[in-house]
Amino acid sequence: MDLSNVMQPGDRASDPDWEMGLRLLAVQRRRRLAFAVRLAAVWLALVAALAFVLLQLNVDPLYAVDHSAFVLQGVLTTIGVSMASISVATVLALLGALGKLSRSSIAQGIAGFYVSLIRGTPLLIQIYLIYLGLPQIGQQFANRGMPGIGGMLTLNAIQSGILALSVNYGAYMTEIFRAGIQSIGHGQREAAKSIGMGEWHILRRVILPQAVRVIIPDIGNQFIAMQKDSSLVSIMGIWEITYRANRLARKDIKFMEMFLLAAAIYWFMTIVSSWAEGWLERRLSHAYER
Amino acid sequence: MPTNDSKPIVQVENLHKWFDLLHVLRGVSFTVDPQEVLVLIGRSGSGKSTLLRCLNMLEEPSAGSITIGPVSVRVEPGKHVDRRQATAIRLQTGMVFQEFNLFPHMTALQNVIEGLVTVKKLPREEAAAIGEKYLDKVGLLPKRDVHPVRLSGGQKQRVAIARSLAMEPKVLLFDEPTSALDPELIGEVLDVMRRLALEGTTMMVVTHEMSFASDVADRVLYLDHGVIVEQGPPTQILKSPQDERTAVFLRSFLESRGD
Repeated sequence: MDLSNVMQPGDRASDPDWEMGLRLLAVQRRRRLAFAVRLAAVWLALVAALAFVLLQLNVDPLYAVDHSAFVLQGVLTTIGVSMASISVATVLALLGALGKLSRSSIAQGIAGFYVSLIRGTPLLIQIYLIYLGLPQIGQQFANRGMPGIGGMLTLNAIQSGILALSVNYGAYMTEIFRAGIQSIGHGQREAAKSIGMGEWHILRRVILPQAVRVIIPDIGNQFIAMQKDSSLVSIMGIWEITYRANRLARKDIKFMEMFLLAAAIYWFMTIVSSWAEGWLERRLSHAYER
Repeated sequence: MPTNDSKPIVQVENLHKWFDLLHVLRGVSFTVDPQEVLVLIGRSGSGKSTLLRCLNMLEEPSAGSITIGPVSVRVEPGKHVDRRQATAIRLQTGMVFQEFNLFPHMTALQNVIEGLVTVKKLPREEAAAIGEKYLDKVGLLPKRDVHPVRLSGGQKQRVAIARSLAMEPKVLLFDEPTSALDPELIGEVLDVMRRLALEGTTMMVVTHEMSFASDVADRVLYLDHGVIVEQGPPTQILKSPQDERTAVFLRSFLESRGD
């Protein structure tokens, strides 16, 4: 039965109360607009209050503006490290989730151990272990006539940073992927089986495309968190945002100015990231819109 | 209509299924002839859905043997069915689910050709041609590029039927195909099934649609507590059942329907 004729919105001819509907719609729109204006006003007031307080505290905004170019040069490094890390982390997380959901005791054991160990230890310690600890082991190998392995275990700062962030976030994202995969109804798997699809095809063509849509907001969240956590790699002397800000701040004793500048840059980057995430989310939802 | 001298296309012998200690199928044996339409009826929990799901290994049978077309699987108690054997027997069967289970991220056509492309490895154009043929068969060719969310329940179920048909199975299994549908949408699905029956499709249907059973079924099978209590032509089973349990079920069923 086709209901489209009956349910057609905006049927002026047949509706004697058409005018009242129009008035109600106008009121509703006005209310929504007024709310948006009030919300924007609150944001503006908060930003103004923050700026006022900082100016009272003898903060020198011109110094920050003058040196912003130097700090901004670190943005690409921060983005590069974050992008590389989120990519590797995604692969690790998928493997971790498959391991956790696997029927094999070995796969389940390895995945569980990985998540527990990595989530249970601080990221900063992991960075130290990879950057400073691994070369120590590498030295042992080199001493025993295996310089190849020794070299492999001696990573530079960028490599160490990416490895640490990837391994760390991979563990958290394992749980996100696991939950995403499990959120897809059992019927989907059964339907795929019933037409003879194998496990690999079921995963790649039926489960993952649906799971990814579910977890995109969580992955976006992780990416935002990672951009900020990437500031930890500054301790290895990588010239990203935090390192650059820190350097000038110490030189000219302008801590408030430079760290606020760095904070503002991170803030802006995360705002852009959440826009991008929202766009991706809408794009992937296309098939699900009526 | 089945012919008496034809070799059965489905042969089930002494099939058992336990869920932990719940003995759902208690030694079920039956055969289905080519082009036969078999309707399974029974109370909820009688094992009729489990029986269908065991036939294509969505549930692993606990014991017994199943032969569909050229594929035979014998299940030894306590042993798993080999994965390749399970896939082989699945390819002999098509399954239509109560909840349709269409792939929501794919269009109607993509749903129908998914198995052709990934399992049968057909080139995309060839698969699309076959897919369109079967979408046309269920009357939904105009919806080929529409995602399931924009289809009505009846349309979804018809696409699901096309998806099963496209794999050209020996027997189609229907697990309460109209139970999740609004009453006004049931007819279109039953019409498609009726047409398939007329064309000689071998079908096993679990349903509560007694009028469908009496019109279309060649044989009705009444299941109670995991045992086939009674079977025969629909006129006999539905109008004058021999077994008391069948009679009680039909009476209470018709009363609850109020017709």
